[in-house]
Amino acid sequence: MKRSTLFSLISIFLLLPATLYLGTQLSGKAYYITSTLVILETMLPFFFRFESRKPQARELATIAVMCALAVAGRVAFPLPNFKAITGIVMIAGIAFGAETGFMIGAVSAFASNFFFSQGPWTPWQMMAYGIAGFLSGLIFHRHCARLLKNPPLLLGLMSVFGFVGIVVVIGPLLDCSTIFATSSHLSWKYALAVLAAGLPHNVTHGISCALTLVIFSKPLLSKLSRLQTKYGMLS
Amino acid sequence: MKHDAFSKYHPLVSFLFFALTIVFGVVIQHPAYLLAGVLSGGIYLSLLIGKKVFRWLTALIPLFLLVSLVNPLLNHRGSTVLCYVFSNPYTLEALLHGMVTGSIFVIMMLWFACYSQVLTSDKFICLFGRLIPTLSLLLVMVLRLIPSFMRKTSQLTGARKCIGKSGDAVSFRGKVASGMTILSALTDHALEGSITTADSMRSRGYGSGKRTSFQIYRFTPRDFILIAIIAALTSGILAFGGNAATYTPAVEIDRVGVGLICYCALCFIPIILQIKEAVQWRISISRI
Repeated sequence: MKRSTLFSLISIFLLLPATLYLGTQLSGKAYYITSTLVILETMLPFFFRFESRKPQARELATIAVMCALAVAGRVAFPLPNFKAITGIVMIAGIAFGAETGFMIGAVSAFASNFFFSQGPWTPWQMMAYGIAGFLSGLIFHRHCARLLKNPPLLLGLMSVFGFVGIVVVIGPLLDCSTIFATSSHLSWKYALAVLAAGLPHNVTHGISCALTLVIFSKPLLSKLSRLQTKYGMLS
Repeated sequence: MKHDAFSKYHPLVSFLFFALTIVFGVVIQHPAYLLAGVLSGGIYLSLLIGKKVFRWLTALIPLFLLVSLVNPLLNHRGSTVLCYVFSNPYTLEALLHGMVTGSIFVIMMLWFACYSQVLTSDKFICLFGRLIPTLSLLLVMVLRLIPSFMRKTSQLTGARKCIGKSGDAVSFRGKVASGMTILSALTDHALEGSITTADSMRSRGYGSGKRTSFQIYRFTPRDFILIAIIAALTSGILAFGGNAATYTPAVEIDRVGVGLICYCALCFIPIILQIKEAVQWRISISRI
C-alpha cells in the first residue's frame, strides 16, 4: 500500500472517530476545537496525496501562479465583500481537475490570510475554497476543452453552479466556523439564526463569483490551453 | 511590528505557546481563567501592534455583547428568570453562559491576532518545511508572486500611459476595458514566467534528490529552557485542576488554586519576557 493511502486511511478511520469521541468527553463541550480538528483531518488526505505525488517543476510553478492570481483576487480587489478568489479557484479546478483544484483553493485561502490575519476561520476557509475548486473540477473538468469552443450554454451553467455552490455549500461552511466559535450550547435554532444572518453576504459572494466565472473563465482557460500546447504540459 | 522579545525565540516555542493558549482559552470556562486570558492576550497584542489594538477592541466589544445577549435567547435552561422574550424565559444562568462564550470568542480572536504577528510565513515554513516540503515550497512561491504581481501591474500601467492609453480620462467602460487588458497581460506574463521558473528549477536539480532547506532560526539553549517552562506550567494546569465551571442549569464554579497561577504564568510569558528585556536594557544603559 502507498504511504499516502495508508496515512489517509489512518486519518479517516482512526483520527476522526477519536477526535469526535474526545470532543464529547471534554468538560465544556469545546465545539470549536472538535469541529476544527475534524476539518483539518478531512483535509489531510488531500495534502498527503499532493506531497506523495511529487509534482513536476512545471506543474508546481503553474499551480503557484494560479494560487497567486486567486490571492490577488482577494487582496487587490477594491470592493469589499466582492471577491474574485472563489471564481478564480473554480476556474483553476476546471483547468486542473478536482484534486489539484482542492489544493489551489486551500493554499490560496491560507496564503491570503497572511495578508489579512490568520484566525479561527483559517481552516474553514481552506476547506471551503478547497471544496469550491474540488466541485468545479469534478463537474466541469471533462468539459474543459469544449468550454473553449462553444461557451454560452456552458458559461451559463458554470455561473449558475458558482452562485448555487456558494449560497448552498461554501457560504454555509464558512458560517459554520462562526456557529461553532460563538455558541454556548449547540442548537438548530442558533445555527439557523447565524446562517440567516450570513445569507445576504453569501448572496453577494455568489454574485461576485458568478460574474468572475463569466468574465474570466474563457480568457484564463484559453491562456492555460495555449501554455499547454506551446510547452506540451499539464496533459 | 514593534520590537518584541518573545518573537526572537525559535518558531517551535511560539507555535507551542499559541497552540496551548488557544486550546486552553477555548476549553476552560472558569471566569478567573477567562479574565486572565483576555488580559494577557489584550496586553500582548497591544505590545505587538501598539495603538492599532483599539481597532481590534472596537470590533471585538460589540461582538462580545452580541454573542452574550443572543445566546440566552436560544438557551432556556437555568432557574433565575430575568424576563420573558417571545414567551421564552431569559435566564441569568444562560446570560452568564453567553458572556463566557463571548469571552472565549474574544480570547480566541486576541491570541490569533498575536499569532499572526509573531508566526510570520517564514517561521511557518521553518516549522513545516521538512514535514510538507512540496506544500511549503508552493506557499513560498505564492507569497513571493504577490509583490511581483503588484510590481508588474504598475509597470504595465506606466507603459500604457506612455502610449496614451492611461484609461484615466475615458468612460467607465473604457476603464474596465483598460483594466482587463492589464489583467490579461499580467496573467500571460505570470504564466510564461512560471515556465521559465520551472525550467530553471529543473536545471538546478529540482526533484532529482532529497531537498535540503535553509533555516535561519536556530534552536538554542534558551529556547529549550522556555519550552521546559511551558511544559512544566502546562502539566501544572492539568495536574492541579480547579478550572471546571458549569453555568446551566445551575452555576457551579470551582475554587481557584495553584492551577490558576500556572495558567497566568503561561499566558503572561511574552509580557514577562518583554518586561525582563526592558529592565535589562535600562540596567545596561545606566552602567555606561
